[in-house]
Amino acid sequence: MVGISVGEQHFLKGGIAQDLRTDGRKRLTYRPISVETGVIPQANGSARVKIGGTDVIASVKAEIGRPSSLQPDKGKVSVFIDCSPTAEPTFGGRGGEELSSELALALQRCLLGGKSGAGAGINLSSLLIKEGKICWDLYIDGLVISSDGNLLDALGAAMKAALTNTAIPKVKVSAEVADDEQPEIDISDEEYQQFDTSSVPVIVTLTKVGAHYIVDATAEEESQMSSAVSISVNRVGHICGFTKRGGSGMDPSVILDMISVAKHMSETLMNKLDSEISAAEACEDDES
Amino acid sequence: MEYVSPEGLRLDGRRFNEMRQIVAEIGVVSKADGSAVFEMGNTKVIAAVYGPREIQNKSQQLKHDRALVLCEYSMAQFSTGDRRRQKQDRRTTELSLVIRQTMEACILTELMPHSQIDIFLQVLQADGGTRSACINAATLALADAGIPMRDLAVSCSAGYLNSTPLLDLNYVEDSAGGADVTVGILPKTDKMDAKLPMETFETVFALASEGCKAIAERIREVLEENTKQLEYRRAA
Amino acid sequence: MLQSKVFNKKTRGGRIQKQVREVYLRDDIYCGAFACKSCDTSAARLSSPKIIVLDTNVVLHQIDLLENQAIDNVVVLSVVLDEVKNRNRSVYNRIRALCSNPAKQFYVFSNHVHKDTYVQAMERESANDHNDRAIRVATLWYQKHLGGTSQVLLVTNDRENKRKATEEGISAETIEAYVKSIGQPDLLDLLAQPTAEDITMEDADDSRPSKRKLVYLEHKPMSEITAGLHRGIYHQGKLRVNRFNPFEAYVGSESIGEEIIIYGRSNMNRAFDGDIVAIELLPRDQWQEEKALSIAEEDEDEDDTVHLAPNSADDAPRISSLAQETSGDKNAVPARPSGRVVGVIRRNWHSYCGSLEPMSLPAGSGGTAHALFVSKDRRIPKIRINTRQLQNLLNMRIVVAVDSWDRQSRYPSGHYVRPIGKIGDRETETEVVLIENDVDYSPFSSQVLACLPPLPWSVSSEDVSNPVRQDLRHLLVFSVDPPGCKDIDDALHCTSLPNGNFEVGVHIADVTNFVHPGTPLDDEASKRGTSVYLVDRRIDMLPKPLTEDICSLRADVERLAFSVIWEMSPEAEIISTRFTKSIIKSSAALSYVEAQARMDDSRLTDTVTTDLRNMNTLAKIMRQRRIDRGALTLASAEVKFQIDTETHDPLDIGMYQIREANQMVEEFMLAANVSVAEQILNQFSSCSLLRRHPTPTREMLEPLLRTAAAIGLTLDVSSSKALADSLDRAVGEDPYFNKLIRILATRCMTQAVYFCSGDLTPPEYHHYGLAAPLYTHFTSPIRRYADVFVHRLLAASLGIYKLPTVFQDRPQLTSVADNLNYRHRNAQMASRASVELHTLIYFRNRPTDAEARVVKIRSNGFIVFVPKYGIEGPVYLTAKGEKGAGDWYVDEEKQKIVKMDGSLSYSVLQTVKIHMEVVEPQPNRPKLQLTLL
Repeated sequence: MVGISVGEQHFLKGGIAQDLRTDGRKRLTYRPISVETGVIPQANGSARVKIGGTDVIASVKAEIGRPSSLQPDKGKVSVFIDCSPTAEPTFGGRGGEELSSELALALQRCLLGGKSGAGAGINLSSLLIKEGKICWDLYIDGLVISSDGNLLDALGAAMKAALTNTAIPKVKVSAEVADDEQPEIDISDEEYQQFDTSSVPVIVTLTKVGAHYIVDATAEEESQMSSAVSISVNRVGHICGFTKRGGSGMDPSVILDMISVAKHMSETLMNKLDSEISAAEACEDDES
Repeated sequence: MEYVSPEGLRLDGRRFNEMRQIVAEIGVVSKADGSAVFEMGNTKVIAAVYGPREIQNKSQQLKHDRALVLCEYSMAQFSTGDRRRQKQDRRTTELSLVIRQTMEACILTELMPHSQIDIFLQVLQADGGTRSACINAATLALADAGIPMRDLAVSCSAGYLNSTPLLDLNYVEDSAGGADVTVGILPKTDKMDAKLPMETFETVFALASEGCKAIAERIREVLEENTKQLEYRRAA
Repeated sequence: MLQSKVFNKKTRGGRIQKQVREVYLRDDIYCGAFACKSCDTSAARLSSPKIIVLDTNVVLHQIDLLENQAIDNVVVLSVVLDEVKNRNRSVYNRIRALCSNPAKQFYVFSNHVHKDTYVQAMERESANDHNDRAIRVATLWYQKHLGGTSQVLLVTNDRENKRKATEEGISAETIEAYVKSIGQPDLLDLLAQPTAEDITMEDADDSRPSKRKLVYLEHKPMSEITAGLHRGIYHQGKLRVNRFNPFEAYVGSESIGEEIIIYGRSNMNRAFDGDIVAIELLPRDQWQEEKALSIAEEDEDEDDTVHLAPNSADDAPRISSLAQETSGDKNAVPARPSGRVVGVIRRNWHSYCGSLEPMSLPAGSGGTAHALFVSKDRRIPKIRINTRQLQNLLNMRIVVAVDSWDRQSRYPSGHYVRPIGKIGDRETETEVVLIENDVDYSPFSSQVLACLPPLPWSVSSEDVSNPVRQDLRHLLVFSVDPPGCKDIDDALHCTSLPNGNFEVGVHIADVTNFVHPGTPLDDEASKRGTSVYLVDRRIDMLPKPLTEDICSLRADVERLAFSVIWEMSPEAEIISTRFTKSIIKSSAALSYVEAQARMDDSRLTDTVTTDLRNMNTLAKIMRQRRIDRGALTLASAEVKFQIDTETHDPLDIGMYQIREANQMVEEFMLAANVSVAEQILNQFSSCSLLRRHPTPTREMLEPLLRTAAAIGLTLDVSSSKALADSLDRAVGEDPYFNKLIRILATRCMTQAVYFCSGDLTPPEYHHYGLAAPLYTHFTSPIRRYADVFVHRLLAASLGIYKLPTVFQDRPQLTSVADNLNYRHRNAQMASRASVELHTLIYFRNRPTDAEARVVKIRSNGFIVFVPKYGIEGPVYLTAKGEKGAGDWYVDEEKQKIVKMDGSLSYSVLQTVKIHMEVVEPQPNRPKLQLTLL
């Protein structure tokens, strides 16, 4: 990871304590965010999000699947993350797998809600084609191309943007069939279905370095953290997910404090993201 | 299947000797020592170079008098029509090796003993010709990292379908089962999937070589532009 | 300029994949009009200021009209071509041929990649609408682009497209209106009948009763069919109508694994022979309704005609399981499942030869008349057509194409394409035979003829000095062929060696020296596949200069050859084999008769005769060895005509006599083919072209066994050896008995077929009839394309030439083999049809009595075989239509038909005297009738 000297460590921590980080930001300031959608034409939806030196791509692919027997009236969504070795040589071989699965798990918690599908960012019932028989399976794949900290927030934002960008073809179920048989489906090339992503939450990670916590930590700052809390908040300000990483424990009051800060930050981020996404979508429409 | 119409047009509207649109950009991965993205039509590859740096795993070092070049090729899960379930397979391993050998022959490794250069290639979209796109992206990234090279290694594929030699096959043409040659100029790498008589091979090979020259020109332009930018920034 | 095309595709596995394809838009697509100032006109085709643009439906349905020379100056858009290609491959090939025909001014405009005519799909726009819009955009572009210099007209029969075009300021017409505007009323006959969704010209045109009855069940929609196929309730396959009973068809289905019988036209539900159909199985209790259905349903009477005796199972009527059932116990489960057609997946409609059903002329000529067309091919139902020239067509053989078949009509509708000639006329009927069997008899094109070497041709010094070519001019080579043979592709030599062995050579015309892969000449030969031999003419595979002169191994001229040379011991054991390209000079072109006469004349001791005798001795040993190995001596009733040189009418028919000389030549050709097969397979194990003969199944031999059993003869069919032995033992009192049994055995077997060695496993390469593990065709490259192919393989195996690229392409290789089988089969059918035609002409003025053999018992008579004329046909004991077959009953087991009072009986293989006479029950429909004397 990042190796920095003792002097640098002091400088970094001191800066955070004085609310002036090494790159000139305040503790609760984000780096510039840029969003580009439709970067992977072969996918049903995709987006690339850059936050400072962090660069991630998220894609959504829809495949025809079968609803699980426990949730016959819902489609399925799964999240996978891949950390490309281009971002960090140590991700080479199987090196990135640990981080990848940790990120995937955290994102699943933030975006997909509980096992029953309740509280998920997108309405799983809208993925259903025929109850108990056919549904759409959404595969959300995240790829880290360049990493300079705050991967989770970036991936979360990219996935939100990719879902907004997603259009899946409308399908018709042909002729009625007997109960035990799989019905045939027809696709219509001309009509597409889009998702309402307004309730997809954003993720705000607060990283505790020394006595203070900061948003949008760089890789250097992350190397000095004691712990980090990722909170996903939806548009109405409800908390959808909560993940704590890092070794050291935290006082519950600090956590509550962090939650309220995160909630406040999420509004800014959400608005910023929404405007970026709609700008990106408009830009993509222009091109085609 | 008709891959070239009697009017001489391919499925995507190109003629036999036309390449797809090329987009190349330098410096996409901030932390890497050198990086580039290279697109040929819908094929899109990112290359990142780390090094020259200290050798990470001493056991890999075979010769002390020159730099160790390592290469890893991976495809994003969303890069193909079907999602890929498996990260590494024989094909990716083989490709890693081919690209590594090509780039190793191109880099002046003897100038950098006791060091290691890592080339990472990430395929974002595969639409035929990934092998070539990887080599071209790697060349750009190496140049961006300031690693000394004998020349610019460039690559282009050509194939033979409907009794016509075709430059720069896309995925549909590539899957047609005809012969195809990927030619890398400078250190020669060529690989073939189907049998081809010698005379036909020669014309296909010549076509691919022409493609390489065009790509080399494009890459040189990108590098020159990049250098101008750097100069401009320094002056500012 | 770059555009992306996005579409979703359903994969085989039922998954949905998003596909993204780039489209590069171009500015170098030219309009193709000579008058254009701004475009490059080097490839221009359109010279007239009146240009028409065709809509897809016009190309799809009116291709016969488009092929007429009156239609010209046409722009064919690439989107139209694409759609036509997807909808109908054969129409696509025809429109492509028009576009490349230099005599026609058809220009292909690649509108789909032109920067100004590219049309991006709009949301909620169907593929069809999208194409229509692209067509209009392109037409409009032409209008603007050419401005005042030309007049551009969109010809469409799609009402909606025409309306939109007019709205957008495009001049658009229906094809009917366009044809009318040209002022050639005869062309209107060529128009396909409008279907329901097309614009009808005169809606009140239909004179049929307005209350129309539904005759057929509805075809299921495609989605339901795919679903049904998926779930296994429907089965997909190619419908094959029984050549001898058009009310019976078979569908070979992979999902069921056996053939499904479709009885009757209503079960066939408007499907034609060769259509890919979806069928459903009928309930088991309806599986045996053959008789009831075929008799009760139709008014067309199924008529057995006298025809040529079949030579193989492919020519013979299919055995139906009916006989088995009636003979066996009644409780037996019916052997074959039967079904009915629920939908047609792909039509195999093309044009058909035939004539109009006789009818009286409607009052007032000049108007449109409805007529029924009867195809020569009995598998095809009658076709309803409209014509304005009924009077001219009634006595003509004509070509008709099918357009549609809706549920209300008993018969499909079609349109008249062109006349062939007067019915009964030898020329006309011969042409019908050729068209029917898809034989290309058009003269060779100038491109093909341009590939020929300049004449007069002779062996050049380069040929002599060519190191791969051995000079064999010193050898005494001669050929033995049928009299008058001009395309001599094989010659032989045989010399004694000092060690007591013989050197035997088979020299084959070196056709591949002149026919090079990839040339128009080669393409044409590959398409034709084989020469076709009719009674009065030969349709060559290669142009005449090659066939009769340059390649033909004529006497006393130097010719190039490909030679197989063996050293053989006096016991005819092959000691060594070598292959070489060579130069030979044949010293004699003998006929079989001459060769035989020389061998038989003990006074002759010249070298040719001695060589012939030596060869004959060797051949006899080889033949015996082959027979010992289990090769079958099969027999067929080949007839020979003597043709009047002036009128080309047959003067005499007789059985073709097979002499020892024939067998001798045959033996060496077989040996050469086997040697070559071994050599090429050894070198190219996966891309050799071989010939196999499948072992007949017991079911196929059933009719033979039944007949044999009826006369108390037991045949062992466990292997070809066993069958050969039992055929040898089958000797009756009369000399012809054994031959007859062999003829019956032969017609139970299918024919040998070509295949690509990579498509099958070595045990399947077996040639049953010859009892050879490997076989191919090498010895007749002048008249068979397979041999040309094998010559190239052999040359490549010797390192003389490189293997042409086609050999690397397995699917293409397989399709070449398939085409050869198809052409071969058609050539044989055409020959047979030609013989049948000449038989009819011969008997027209010669009522004849002859001896015949009963070969099959029917409920109302029996089928006889007339050895002398090689024909077979029914003899009725009860008059037709008289259903009271009560006078006679059939003894199935003994294969006997017996009169009720026991006074008379006929049993199978019995000799009867018959009278043959040509009768004309309907005018212009002569047929040969056989009656008992």
